[in-house]
Amino acid sequence: MKVAFPYMGTTVIYKKLLELLGHEVIEPPEPTQRTIDLGVKYSPEFACFPLKVVLGSYIEAVEMGAETIVTSGGHGPCRAGFYGETHKKILKNLGYDVDIIVFDAYKRDKMGTIKRVLKVKNGKSWITVWKAINVVYAMAKALDRIEKRIEKMRAYEVHKGECTKAWKTIKEWFDHDVKTIKDVEMTEMKSHKLLDEIKLVEVPEEEKIRIGIVGEIYVVMEQSINLRIEETLGNLGAEVERSQYLSEWIDYNIMPGAARKEHELYILKKGEKYIEEIIGGHAKQTVGHIVDYAERGFDGVIHLMPFACLPELVSQSIIPTIGKEHNIPVLTLSIDEQTGTANTLTRLEAFIDLIRNNKRTKTA
Amino acid sequence: MDKVFIGIDVGSVSTDIVALDVEGNILSTQYLRTNGQPIEAARKGLRNLKEEFKGDIEVLGVGTTGSGRQLTGIMVGADVIKNEITAHATATITLVPGTRTIFEIGGQDSKIIFLKDGMVTDFAMNTVCAAGTGSFLEHQAERLGIPIEEFGDLALTAKKNVRIAGRCTVFAESDMIAKQQYGFSKAEIINGLCEALVRNYINNLGRGKKLEPPYVFQGGVAANKGIVAAFERELNHEVIVPKNHGVMGAIGAAILAKEYIERTGRTTNFRGFECTDLDFTPTSFICGGCDNSCEVIKVEMNGKAMAMWGDRCGKWTNSIA
Repeated sequence: MKVAFPYMGTTVIYKKLLELLGHEVIEPPEPTQRTIDLGVKYSPEFACFPLKVVLGSYIEAVEMGAETIVTSGGHGPCRAGFYGETHKKILKNLGYDVDIIVFDAYKRDKMGTIKRVLKVKNGKSWITVWKAINVVYAMAKALDRIEKRIEKMRAYEVHKGECTKAWKTIKEWFDHDVKTIKDVEMTEMKSHKLLDEIKLVEVPEEEKIRIGIVGEIYVVMEQSINLRIEETLGNLGAEVERSQYLSEWIDYNIMPGAARKEHELYILKKGEKYIEEIIGGHAKQTVGHIVDYAERGFDGVIHLMPFACLPELVSQSIIPTIGKEHNIPVLTLSIDEQTGTANTLTRLEAFIDLIRNNKRTKTA
Repeated sequence: MDKVFIGIDVGSVSTDIVALDVEGNILSTQYLRTNGQPIEAARKGLRNLKEEFKGDIEVLGVGTTGSGRQLTGIMVGADVIKNEITAHATATITLVPGTRTIFEIGGQDSKIIFLKDGMVTDFAMNTVCAAGTGSFLEHQAERLGIPIEEFGDLALTAKKNVRIAGRCTVFAESDMIAKQQYGFSKAEIINGLCEALVRNYINNLGRGKKLEPPYVFQGGVAANKGIVAAFERELNHEVIVPKNHGVMGAIGAAILAKEYIERTGRTTNFRGFECTDLDFTPTSFICGGCDNSCEVIKVEMNGKAMAMWGDRCGKWTNSIA
């Protein structure tokens, strides 16, 4: 069975899981203008940007021969909860013969989930499945640790682009060299050594700028469609941290056991004052993370949302209050199919200027 | 010989050039139409400047801003290349100390900047909508057959209020046509349009944030008395329009260049007024390296590639070291 998956963030992780289960994996290419064009052409006009890009990515995977697509479903009241079904229908109408397996919140449909797991399990023994999950989980953790380090380093690299290049190499190593937990450990060590070699500029602690990136998961995680926001901010001299990392998402949504859910619950709790209920998407996480970043002494927050995303529009309208109460500047950017970056770059530059000035007077 | 700092603001509609002396006094200002040719406009402005001082001028530093800041910055050898939000705020803080809120409405974009104790605390910029910009007003003035210069004065003569939808230029336009048929005068419709624009601007950019006085209104549209009056009615407070409201970006760029040179003690990168005679050509091509098909801009000076940008992967940008 030729299996593909939606493209989001560090895709080598999903690829590895499917490979360890013995599937022939079709990895869709990183979204490009063509992916976006395909998605926009075949999606309803009012659908939000992530749906469109993911659809484009599915079409490209099917063109490459994918027969099955495995994805996670959204849950909660925003329209993302209906994505899997919408994608199925559009692909069917386009005449593509492809099976989409959607993993939704398993509590709602336990039998269905078991059926889907059996399909993806591919006749492997449960021990194999367990091992595969453990390797991939360790890998997700390792890759997120490395990426977090890169997100800090990039602000100070002497030769622009070195960190991004190293990150690409590291992902290739994980892709090719990892089969066991031991491999994960070895590759992580090797990766950190590679990063050790990158020359950095010394910047005094009080001049360092730290920015948190919050918002809807797809536009936060997928750099090819969010104007490569992390690189852009890094080049402007700011360290960044995202509100979403794959391993944290796995902790909260997939792994059993309460201890692993702690971080996300802690964030949700922080947002409670501003948004009480889960209103879909990541609105509640967004406000929680802003509070968290303010408390951890970050200098500013970039809030990313797909254009017209309902839950994030709600969080956007509360952000001025949060910013004021916690004394942290927040810049909201809407992401859609625009390619012109001049306007966004102007705003990001001005935002960093604002933060630098703030810091200068605080320390003076 | 006059020693000056030059500020150049290359915007979508106008290109502004100012010269400051070492004390920061404004010696010269120019407001030129960009006409879609930013380089030509900047060249022309620099030539005019040289002529104005009869060549007896020493340039100590240059700053560029506006959407064409990068391109022009490379051509002239700018010391500071700054975004227009920081540039505008810098000029206002210097010329109108104590300002808390800046309204800036230009040809194709509009901004709001919040200040406290002489520092930017927040800002917003319109993105996809032209409803509140100079180009829209110009278009409507043309449609009604009124020269844009008389637009503001005419709005002030309105006797009755007309409500026009300001959310979107398309709605505003069809509303205006309907109201014309109801028999409202041109002056009243224009006044209604000014109010709609201000309402839309404050909703869209203010987003419920508290607007604290003193208010300063700048950018090309600040010349329009109708809009100024509409702002004052909406806010129920005086709105200050600085004398050089049209060239504040350029003034800010010049101040930033001056501060930079004074702080670092460096000598300027300015290529001299001869740079206006250099063969300076930007070209663009579509990169075929992947499906992104990025439009890459390449800038050549006397046949030598000076800078490249526009590629998402950095392949071309990094090719010039």
